[in-house]
Amino acid sequence: MPATEYQGSFLSRISIRRNQVVSMDGNHEQELEELEIFQKNISERFSDLISDDSSSSSNSASSSEPFLSIAWVRKLLDVFLCCEAEFKAVLIMGRDPSLISKPPLDRLIPELFDRAVKALDICNAVMHGIDSVRQCQKLAEIAAASLEQRPLGEGQARRAKKALAGLLSAMGIDETSGGHKSAERSWSFGRRGGGGGGVSVTKDRGSGQSRASTWGVPKNWSAAKQIQVMSANLVAPRGAEASGLAMPVYIMSIVTVFVMWALVAAIPCQEKTGLATHFQVPRQLGWAQSMVWLHEKIGEELKKKEKKGASPVGLLEEIQKMEKLGQSLLEFSDGFQYPVPEEKLDEAAAQVADLTETCRRMEDGLVPLQHQIREVFHRIVRSRTEVLDVLDHAGKSSAPSV
Amino acid sequence: MSSPEDGAKAMPLEAAEKLILQWDSTASEDAREKMIFESERVEIDRYLLAVDEVRRSMSGVSLSDEDPRASSTIQIAMARLEDEFRNILITHTSPLEADSLAESTHSISESTYSFSESTHSFSESSTHHHPSDDHDVYGGDEAESSARRSSSGSINYRSTSSIREIDLVPAEAISDLRSIADRMISAGYMRECVQVYGSVRKSAVDANFRLLGVEKLSIGDVQRLEWDALEAKIRRWIRAARVCIRVLFASERRLCDQIFSGIETAIEDACFMETIKGPAIQLFNFAEAISISRRSPEKLFKILDLHDALMDLMPDIDTVFQMKTAESIRVQAAEILSRLGEAARGILSEFESAILREPSQVPVPGGTIHPLTRYVMNYISLISDYKQTMNDLIVSKPSTGSRYSGDPTIPDMEFSEFEGKTPLELHVIWITVILQFNLDGKSKHYRDTSLAHLFLMNNVHYIVHKVKGSPELREMTGDDYLRKLTGKFRQAAMSYQRATWVKVLYCLRDEGLHVSGGFSSGISKSALRERFKTFNAMFEEVHRIQATWLIPENQLREELRISISEKLIPAYRSFLGRFRSHIENGRHPENYIKYTVEDLETAVLDFFEGFPVSPHLRRRSQ
Repeated sequence: MPATEYQGSFLSRISIRRNQVVSMDGNHEQELEELEIFQKNISERFSDLISDDSSSSSNSASSSEPFLSIAWVRKLLDVFLCCEAEFKAVLIMGRDPSLISKPPLDRLIPELFDRAVKALDICNAVMHGIDSVRQCQKLAEIAAASLEQRPLGEGQARRAKKALAGLLSAMGIDETSGGHKSAERSWSFGRRGGGGGGVSVTKDRGSGQSRASTWGVPKNWSAAKQIQVMSANLVAPRGAEASGLAMPVYIMSIVTVFVMWALVAAIPCQEKTGLATHFQVPRQLGWAQSMVWLHEKIGEELKKKEKKGASPVGLLEEIQKMEKLGQSLLEFSDGFQYPVPEEKLDEAAAQVADLTETCRRMEDGLVPLQHQIREVFHRIVRSRTEVLDVLDHAGKSSAPSV
Repeated sequence: MSSPEDGAKAMPLEAAEKLILQWDSTASEDAREKMIFESERVEIDRYLLAVDEVRRSMSGVSLSDEDPRASSTIQIAMARLEDEFRNILITHTSPLEADSLAESTHSISESTYSFSESTHSFSESSTHHHPSDDHDVYGGDEAESSARRSSSGSINYRSTSSIREIDLVPAEAISDLRSIADRMISAGYMRECVQVYGSVRKSAVDANFRLLGVEKLSIGDVQRLEWDALEAKIRRWIRAARVCIRVLFASERRLCDQIFSGIETAIEDACFMETIKGPAIQLFNFAEAISISRRSPEKLFKILDLHDALMDLMPDIDTVFQMKTAESIRVQAAEILSRLGEAARGILSEFESAILREPSQVPVPGGTIHPLTRYVMNYISLISDYKQTMNDLIVSKPSTGSRYSGDPTIPDMEFSEFEGKTPLELHVIWITVILQFNLDGKSKHYRDTSLAHLFLMNNVHYIVHKVKGSPELREMTGDDYLRKLTGKFRQAAMSYQRATWVKVLYCLRDEGLHVSGGFSSGISKSALRERFKTFNAMFEEVHRIQATWLIPENQLREELRISISEKLIPAYRSFLGRFRSHIENGRHPENYIKYTVEDLETAVLDFFEGFPVSPHLRRRSQ
């Protein structure tokens, strides 16, 4: 069975709750208890994400994934999937289905659906973004492989330079010392950037060729805008509403928007201007403190990038590393003269090794990351479909048929 | 590829290096402007020879003695060759010809019947319906169903597949590209080669996508569009997807093979994936967006079309994307197919719920066929056209109705009565059951019980008529059930007659008119006069009212009128015959004997026409 069926066993464990007989009196208390557990679990999971970062190399027992690395992002997605499963249990199982069509849920659920659709589009855009990252990885691999050659000659240096210039130009970083400047400011793989190699761009048959539609999303689609709209109507339920289902809906919505926001920040996506400010995690939420911390940290990085005027490429740790190493090695290649002094060579070699390692991590991690995002996609679709079904059948006492 | 050994004289290393340096595009304006592979063949060969020469000189030397200059020369040559490669590809990349884009296997007619055009939706809007509008409901239906029947014979998206590869690049260019690729790859520049190939071809595929009308729509966009607009897009997508997979992608694959096969293992796969991964995902994204759109009944048939088209394409998808690296694409296609099936199931379920819940309580004027009935019957008639696919998709019985839950809002249906029926057939029957259940509820809103019966008679008869009119539908429900339904509307007809005519005919009875003893000849004149007056009033009332009622189906209307006449006319004739003399002997007989038998016969013809009649019946007599 394809991934659409993956969570079968998990749900069957939860489904025993369907048989719970809930008395009118105990109902409310039980709800509150459920809510508390839900919040607690979320809080724990997100704090796990932080402790990974702060637990430094001294404690090798815990799996410390560098902040915003591919592995960390995968963990984040795991957290999302767990929260989502629990949310669905809270929302659907063991409850009177007609509750979903009554206030305040009758207003909140459509908003939830809308957010779900936007999240799906973000998943698709991020999938595409990861493909772009793989393109970068390949360019980096060319450079690394060239610079690994011994003896290191001018040919290898020029080859590396060409690849690195292309890499950086694709990242929207204009590093060319002279000659051709890449006009493209965003991810574009129609052309390898000029670089000092002076690749003839004049043979371009029409500019349409170079800007190959790399995004797979509509021209005016903006990741930042999606996030902004998703978070626009996130309002904490108050008063009587706060004790009902509206609360878990709110909680899950915050989690969803946060995860999507973090994904967009980490991975190259179309149009990210203003991302840093488009979403805030309310600071007063007890269960969300870890999320607040993470949000701040990521937000800081975003702002730093925006200030530098660099197009917000992707905060993914491996991308950042690649950018840094790429710049340094480009300088090295650009100023290459045979023979290279021992010291300089060693320095470059260390960086090359680093770059190779980064590429390896990308090679190992990016495809599984894509699989996971696809998983997230499926899960969101499935939940939405199930809730829609319950809605459509609300009013009938029979169980929903899917 | 030509090896430098055949015929051409070997080139000394220095000359080779010099030539390569000459063509270094960073070195001179001239080198930048001209392209080697656009020059004379002899120049091309010379350059390639030079490259081979330098490579050969390098391979004979141990690494530590390697002249760094040689590596530099090679790099210059490779950079140059890369540009040449790109240039050749771009030069020979042109959008596919229009006739290549047209399908060769086009005999597949799609269902042009757009269900959203039908009049009814599950809303109150049905009340603006005038009974006389219904006179052509049967005629209109004939046209509709015959149109569908003619296309139903060829509604099949399950045609045989035909992959059609075309040559995207002319043979001479291919051979040049091969000779470059070969050298780049053996010099260790495979990555660059793959990259340049991918980027040029991806642009080409994009351009062709635009030609085919493949749009880039986000899932959000698709959710926002009106279904009518989406139907058109689905139609276009189906046509485009066929060409993309069977022609475009297959041809790109062939091009990869032509240029790269035999040079390095799996490089064709890498180049192919580089080229089409993004576009393929973009293509499937639309179908995926449709498969997750909100379910509502009118979407069923286009979703089935999409499902069938995709299923038809699966073998080709599996062929074109057979490499391991393309697994995610195949998986995604399978996932979408599965979701479309789920959507179809969900929509059917939603449809059934909607029928049960359909709330309109304002009775249809004249007791004629309710728009809901027509909508539902048209719908399941269309389902029967899609029987093959639906049978595959619908695998479980209707979920409600087999429970004797005692729930008064759901009818019961004993599935054991329908042995041997497929789940789809059970659903179809179930749909007629819940339709009737809903109609029963609606009939109760008529204040006049006669009209309630007439309403049910009309509607159940319509159900029978539609089932009989469609061989597939008839086969699905079975003749037993049909008989049951027939019995039902006949029963309704009888109930109608009882409700209306018993009391009218009661006026014409014998009892109570005779008086024993006294001076008169045994007939109470006053009672008789009363009888006549009552009969006249009753009949006039019934006539006035029931002329505005409507039985759209000609034969049914005739039959009912005949049935009424058969009881009414002889009774009146006999009554007149026996008692008219008594009235005619008295004062103002015209006040009591208003109608002749012929008058009544004529009046009966007014019944159920759906038109009001003038208040005074024509009097023949006197």
